[in-house]
Amino acid sequence: MTSDPRFLIVDDFSTMRRIVRNLLKEIGFNNAEEAEDGVVALNLLKSSKFDFVVSDINMPNMDGFALLKSVRADESLKGIPFLMVTAEAKKEDIVNAAQNGANGYIVKPFTKATLEEKVQKILQKHG
Amino acid sequence: MGHSDGFGLQQATDSGTRSSKPAVAVWGDMSKLPATIEAPMESGSNQERTNGADATAAEVPGGGDIYHRIGQLTRTLHDALRELGYHETLADARSNLPDARDRLAYIARLTGDAAERVLNSVDRARSVQDEMSGRAQGLQTRWAAVAAYTAKGERATPAGEALVADTCAFLDALGKQATQTNEILTEIMMAQDFHDLTGQVIRKVVELAQTLEDQLLKLLIEAHPVETRKSAESGKLEGPVVNAEGRSDVVTDQAGVDDLLASLGF
Repeated sequence: MTSDPRFLIVDDFSTMRRIVRNLLKEIGFNNAEEAEDGVVALNLLKSSKFDFVVSDINMPNMDGFALLKSVRADESLKGIPFLMVTAEAKKEDIVNAAQNGANGYIVKPFTKATLEEKVQKILQKHG
Repeated sequence: MGHSDGFGLQQATDSGTRSSKPAVAVWGDMSKLPATIEAPMESGSNQERTNGADATAAEVPGGGDIYHRIGQLTRTLHDALRELGYHETLADARSNLPDARDRLAYIARLTGDAAERVLNSVDRARSVQDEMSGRAQGLQTRWAAVAAYTAKGERATPAGEALVADTCAFLDALGKQATQTNEILTEIMMAQDFHDLTGQVIRKVVELAQTLEDQLLKLLIEAHPVETRKSAESGKLEGPVVNAEGRSDVVTDQAGVDDLLASLGF
């Protein structure tokens, strides 16, 4: 993992993408790109190198679960840390995310401290 | 495929691949509603449906005339709605749904625009704050040097020394206040997540309104209540939990997420 990991923020709401990007910047991560759904995200992931994915679940075209499964099924992408940031608070979704290989799960609304804690924890594990 | 009537309902037709009985599942002119009604067949093979209907009829005591009774109930409901003037209300409700959708979309757009404006303002304020903070830090370093110089051998008047000390203290406080201001700006920025959360709810309500618009009167004479329930469940709205009270299938906060994942060994 590089000292300045490159993040991909995936959310269909531009407001939330912007909030996550700004929070990452405040935490100390300035390198981030955005995608509005899973399809765009997957194309970006395949065409460029990213070190971390922060993704919503409910999105048009391809949702966060489908994106997660696609990432984990792709030999070149499967090792990328994947953090779910979503309004879905159902236990079924949380378990589903974990079983499909998500490295963390944050429910909206969340705080800067929560995001920082989860991101740092995942980055430490992926050294 | 049928055609739309005055209520916007799909008039059921007998395509030949469906039951040979007269297709009267969905009605345009409710005054022509017969006392007996046949179960609508939306999909699936005729044989399966016929078998299913027979099975249902067989399972229900005296179920042989179940559709007759449903027809009577429908007639009663229709008469009641007409007497109460509700069938016009129902038609009005349906015709008003597109307007309701537009209004919700309008709210979503406006709140989205407002959130973006706030975020733009936060970015500008943060930029101004950072610039001021940087300049204050530069001045603080220079004034600290002046303070060190004047402290040696009475090189400044008491008033001058006090001025230097006050200026240094002010610049120091300015730096701390900049940090506080940035924290407040972060809070303002985080508060804009309402747009994402409310937007998801609005989107689902708009979808629901669309479904209601298509199905409103059809549901009144739906002859398969069990299937209707299944359909309703499968179409349950996703998105933010707006009321978690009494629900065991959702978590209410981040601690709940962490506990659940920990219990699963993650």
